[in-house]
Amino acid sequence: MRGYLIGKTAQAVLTLLFVLVFNFFLFRVMPGDPAAILLRGTAAFNPETLEQAREDLGLDEPLPQQFVTYLGDTLSLNFGTSFFLSGQPVNEVIAGKIWPTVLLVGTATIASAAIGLVIGIYGGWRRGSRFDVGSLGFTLFVYAMPEFWFGILVLMAFSGGVGPFPALFPTGGYATAASDLTGLGHVVDVLNHMVLPFFVLTVAYLGQYALIMRNSLIDILGDDFIQTARAKGVREKQILWRHAVPNALLPTMTLVFLSIGFIFGGAITIEYVFSWPGLGWLTVQAIDHKDYPLLQALFLIFSVAVIVANLVADVLYSYLDPRVRAA
Amino acid sequence: MGRGTRLRMFVAFVLAGAIASGVLIQAAFGQETTGATGGTGQDEDREKVVFTWGSAGETSSLNPMSGYLALDFYFWMPQYYLLIDWAQKDFSAEWSLATGVEVSPDAKTFTYTIRDDLTWSDGVPLTADDVAYTLNLYKNNNAYLPHNYLTQIDGDVVATDATHIEFSTVEPTTLYSGNVPYLYNYILPKHIFEEVEKGNCPDGQDPCTAKSFDNVPSVGAGPFYIAEAEQGEFVRMVRNPYWEGAEPHIDEIVYRQFRNNDALAEALKAGEIDFAYDLTAPNIFNSLKDEPNIATVAASVPLFDYFNMNTGSAYGPETGDFKQHGDGHPALTDPVVRRAIRMAIDSQTLVDKVWLGYATPGTSVIPPVSAAGARWEPTGEEVISFDIEGANQLLEGAGYVDTDGDGVREMPTDSIDPGRPLEFRYFVRSTDQTTIDAAPFIQKWLRDIGIETNVEAVSTTRLGDIENAGEFDLAHWSWFPDIDPDTALGWFICDARPPDGKTYDNDDSYYCNPEYDQMYEQQRAELDLDKRWDIVHEMQQILYEEEPYAILWYPPLLEAYRTDTFTGYKPQPEINGDPLQGYSGIGEVWLSLRPVSEGSGAAAETRGIPAVVWIAIAAGVLVIVLIVVLRRRRLGEEDV
Repeated sequence: MRGYLIGKTAQAVLTLLFVLVFNFFLFRVMPGDPAAILLRGTAAFNPETLEQAREDLGLDEPLPQQFVTYLGDTLSLNFGTSFFLSGQPVNEVIAGKIWPTVLLVGTATIASAAIGLVIGIYGGWRRGSRFDVGSLGFTLFVYAMPEFWFGILVLMAFSGGVGPFPALFPTGGYATAASDLTGLGHVVDVLNHMVLPFFVLTVAYLGQYALIMRNSLIDILGDDFIQTARAKGVREKQILWRHAVPNALLPTMTLVFLSIGFIFGGAITIEYVFSWPGLGWLTVQAIDHKDYPLLQALFLIFSVAVIVANLVADVLYSYLDPRVRAA
Repeated sequence: MGRGTRLRMFVAFVLAGAIASGVLIQAAFGQETTGATGGTGQDEDREKVVFTWGSAGETSSLNPMSGYLALDFYFWMPQYYLLIDWAQKDFSAEWSLATGVEVSPDAKTFTYTIRDDLTWSDGVPLTADDVAYTLNLYKNNNAYLPHNYLTQIDGDVVATDATHIEFSTVEPTTLYSGNVPYLYNYILPKHIFEEVEKGNCPDGQDPCTAKSFDNVPSVGAGPFYIAEAEQGEFVRMVRNPYWEGAEPHIDEIVYRQFRNNDALAEALKAGEIDFAYDLTAPNIFNSLKDEPNIATVAASVPLFDYFNMNTGSAYGPETGDFKQHGDGHPALTDPVVRRAIRMAIDSQTLVDKVWLGYATPGTSVIPPVSAAGARWEPTGEEVISFDIEGANQLLEGAGYVDTDGDGVREMPTDSIDPGRPLEFRYFVRSTDQTTIDAAPFIQKWLRDIGIETNVEAVSTTRLGDIENAGEFDLAHWSWFPDIDPDTALGWFICDARPPDGKTYDNDDSYYCNPEYDQMYEQQRAELDLDKRWDIVHEMQQILYEEEPYAILWYPPLLEAYRTDTFTGYKPQPEINGDPLQGYSGIGEVWLSLRPVSEGSGAAAETRGIPAVVWIAIAAGVLVIVLIVVLRRRRLGEEDV
């Protein structure tokens, strides 16, 4: 067991080191000059200001020099200053967006996993029933549905108010802009802003959990040990919750932990529709502007999150399923 | 059910009851803290007059040292002065922070008189020292935009006393003579930026430089200054306590940033915002037209979309640093071909189909919104009308004939590349839907005159590289020129051509005409405004006739506002202009905006579920979780 743990941790560390180096070069091979992107189309676009902008962005240094600076800064957790946000420290920019991202995507992931698993369990348990047919259709639909489209519909219905739908919730943002709300008032304000994006994300995510859980449970229910339990006279509910569900959860675990790893990546389309200040949209902007320091920091965070989530999943898996350890 | 289980169920219900009681207790308290913009002092907030506007755009910086986007200026206009302003009515010159200028007879030394009755929002008086310091700060740090207007100044700007500044230029120039508001330089507080330069940002920001300083909170000399801002979310401006001009009717200006125009439109309809800036999409703009209490404006702004033709990156004269590069089609070096292409493009149809009629068909590189008197417009015989037959005759007459009958003309026998078919690469920008939408129309019209095009959508970055390398024939892009024509006309001088395929510059059509260059210098030096405009008109006419750019249309600034909350907008220009007076120092609009009636200017209430319901929901979730846990335990006990 110890060897298994050491092996997995070493793998994670090596991956992380690779990402650290890869991050620097990946964005620099993208076409285009960041200084030109900043100024193109404005009256400030001329060779003199371009040269100045390159100097301001630190792009006038030779590449090896830039790499050494990057490595040193990153190892001391200083990610530099953003290009397109006019020199704001990357750490501050990300810190301002990380909580809204985790709050929205994290809660939606948990809620969708919980609801999706329950739907999948009941659908798989009562295979062919009206509930199963209905829930299967619903989950397939929401799984295939574009989040963007659903988000716009929900926004128009519940923020703008269309026909019978009342205009109940704010149109977007994390909280009321420039308000003086504090304490409970602020919490309620954030919750009200979060309702619609949370709802859309939860609905959009739950399909995958429901479908995997249902299929996994159906497989397990056909296994010999379930027949044995029935032959021994174990009650149906006991068979479901004590024997079938724990075993069927194993493949779902991988998906849940992968999703947790991706929480930090945000939800680009939902952040876009509901003007939610998250890391997803920040990433899009950073790519648009070829903002190397911001991109490097964001991709490092995303990579660390996924690597850690995978490591945790591997470790948990080995506890839950002894066959993994043995292998 | 065993005794233990019954006990747990009892505990659960007691807990639920306790939470429900808590909910009821919270009810009164909760209602006090929700539904309004102020958690504390709600009444005080209700009385506060807050003008809330929004857009789907993002600021580049709130610091004039670094900002370069049109949106940024709306946060500088309520707080910083320009030496000379653009008149709200027609963009003519209007004294502002400066009250006059003395120009030396050789037009090379300029002495400005500065007002002495202004105070910064922290109580420090504004003097000529601030003006000289700011101009030098912009100049010596190559501040991206402001630096552009100071390039002719030789040496430093000097404050000769508390109310005068002086500077000189190497060449005589009209641009600083007070005839036109050329110096688009917002004057900053020396006492703040001097400290910033030393690395002492007022908010402790680190690293702290004049360019990286976020300028929040700011110190302004106008009626408002920035009190608070959250990047990508909002900006809040409040009243300057030391402002001694006309008293504004609003207490705060709040800007909200949206990510998309659908949400922006919904926010306007719901009354969350009073003004929606730059709606971009004509269909969304249309959807607001019939909404009650909402007015829409397709405002004219200095912006144009152009069909760029590579007039000779690979063939142009090698003057200055310019070296021939790239592989543009040789046919486009011929003004006849470019003119035929212009004749084959129907700008009116493009405006109707792509912009649903809201844009204006284009002609000159100086848009209708520009310095008063600067624009030239073709009339009568000068107009190059949409005429497919005429374009065909023009090409035929110049020897561009389809010799092999495949529908595509070939270059004449006496040309640079005889027999080469007129097949052009035509680039559009993947990030600009209007360029994509226009392509099928233009492609079809060009086919009608025997020109084949291969349309490719690329990112803005990529297209910049492609044009820089001269590896294109046709491209669709747009420019946001200055109000003064100098900048836009400067994009066509020989020295503005990207010199070597690697270094960027502005003359992306590679147009080079020594006669035009000479006129460019002349208009810069001409002190008589009418004579300057005559030269500027002639230059526009040359560009129109030679067509390095076919100006497709002048896009509008699509805006909408609520008519039941605020009134007193100041469109600039007066006819069909931007209601928020987009070009100014201290804009009159911030003093004239006022609530339609008492209470109509109060901040919009926050919508959503009251606190009491949220607490009930939380209690409900807790009860469900408890019940699930208890049931699981019961199953466990029964399993044993």
